[in-house]
Amino acid sequence: MKLSVHLGRLMLQNPIVLASGTCGYGREMQPYLNLNDFGAITVKGLSLLPCEGNPPPRIWEVRAGILNSIGLENKGVGRFLEEDLPFLENLSTRIFVNIWGRTVDEYVAVARELDKIARIDALELNLSCPNVEKGGASFVADLEELRKLVRGVRAATGKFLIAKLGPQVRDWEATVTLLEEEGIEALSVTNSFPALALDVERMSFIFALKTAGLSGPAIKPLALRMVYELVGITGLPIIGMGGITTADDALEFLLVGARAVGIGTANLVDPSSAMRILEGMQQYLMRKGITDIEEIIGRVR
Amino acid sequence: MKLSRVRRKERIGERFVLLELEESGIAAQAKPGQFVMVRPFQEVFDPLLARPFAVLRTQGDSFTLLFEVTGRGTALLARAEPGDVLSVLGPLGRGFSLDASSGVLIAGGRGIVPLVFLALEFLKRTIPSLFFVGVRERKELALLRVLEGIPEVFWSCEEKVAGGFCGTVLDLVRRHLDAVFKSDAKVYACGPEGMLRKLKEIFSGREEKVEVSLETRMGCGFGVCLGCAVPKKGGGYWHVCSDGPVFKLSEVML
Repeated sequence: MKLSVHLGRLMLQNPIVLASGTCGYGREMQPYLNLNDFGAITVKGLSLLPCEGNPPPRIWEVRAGILNSIGLENKGVGRFLEEDLPFLENLSTRIFVNIWGRTVDEYVAVARELDKIARIDALELNLSCPNVEKGGASFVADLEELRKLVRGVRAATGKFLIAKLGPQVRDWEATVTLLEEEGIEALSVTNSFPALALDVERMSFIFALKTAGLSGPAIKPLALRMVYELVGITGLPIIGMGGITTADDALEFLLVGARAVGIGTANLVDPSSAMRILEGMQQYLMRKGITDIEEIIGRVR
Repeated sequence: MKLSRVRRKERIGERFVLLELEESGIAAQAKPGQFVMVRPFQEVFDPLLARPFAVLRTQGDSFTLLFEVTGRGTALLARAEPGDVLSVLGPLGRGFSLDASSGVLIAGGRGIVPLVFLALEFLKRTIPSLFFVGVRERKELALLRVLEGIPEVFWSCEEKVAGGFCGTVLDLVRRHLDAVFKSDAKVYACGPEGMLRKLKEIFSGREEKVEVSLETRMGCGFGVCLGCAVPKKGGGYWHVCSDGPVFKLSEVML
């Protein structure tokens, strides 16, 4: 059975990608998963300097989903390279690193640092985190800023470049055209949805920043629709993600045209979820007598 | 996650449930103060997240949890019966230090759970300990049953009850402070945040020798979601699941 898929110039041994923010810097998952079994692992969003993130509470469970307000906490590029890269270098799977900054210059500086590291296969530009005031989603609100950002990062690295988009994008066609023009090679769709939760007993907001990002099974149909629409307007390969919890969820994304799938919140629910999903996909293909996973990509349009 | 069969179930008082679960790996490895993540049943995605529970004790190829029914997740878990299979992950986190020459254990309500495991370990190692436990209401006194076999237990209830001290557990500890300080014991505590905060007054200047086990909302339990942040003394955050759940009182802002 052939499970490998191409994302443009990048080949993945299978379409399963561990999504950023849900598999740490890689090492944390090692007791529960053989990371070499998957197409790629995406290291959590790195900024140039360490970022301590948002005040607690940072997580709140809702029906079939979670709201998070982590605030992009991370150890910064320097410590990542020192502490985590040696572990990642021993893996055979693809290594993606999600990156972000508060300014264009910060994004560019992170990209430049990581460009020097041969083992890193791709950079994923975080253009969609709803939990920081500056950076993340704020760049997609202004297309000229976005152009500057992508152009700067593209000039700083020859690595495979992915843009991670969320529901904050206003004009999908214009945004995607711009990203293609500026050298983005694939899209990750979607990030969490800006959402709100209140504590009715205390009559207050749950989170210090009021809104937070909703993820988990609750968003899957919304994410699937986004991917479906995007496949219709761009030739860029899409890594579909948003609430994928079962093999059927993952298959739905491939059937509408995603070339790979990101497993996110499911990793938090059970760190061995990605293996369960991969095995379920293989069983499906066997049951259907399909020998090449490419045969199902985009089959339902 | 591993699958684990419920071997025994016992209701303790109105709100507490004790579950003995078969899982030899966790039983062999768990240390006092560590916890496990439990999902009530497979293929249930609402509630979505597993719940963290401190280990009460281990015996042979099984381990025991004691939890309070406080919300939807724990209510669902309370429906588990012997023979049912649950998903478990663990043991997780850093537990209590076991290098004390003597210990003073202070538990408030369900904070008793990790401290029972610690007291049993001290007993095994012949480390002397005093165990102070407090409950708010008379009906929670059923919790004291899990202290069977542990010597030197002092208990309090905020309602007036014959045979026990009337007041909070910290009022009770204050009455024995001379003994506590003289023994130069390490102090181990688990309970409501307000109780842990007051420890800073009682043990002012001795925070290095006080270990507290914290309870907080967790996403994953193994250090990737960074959802369980608590303020670190001096700035930044600890993550309760991977840096804790046991911290020195001197390390955390409560």
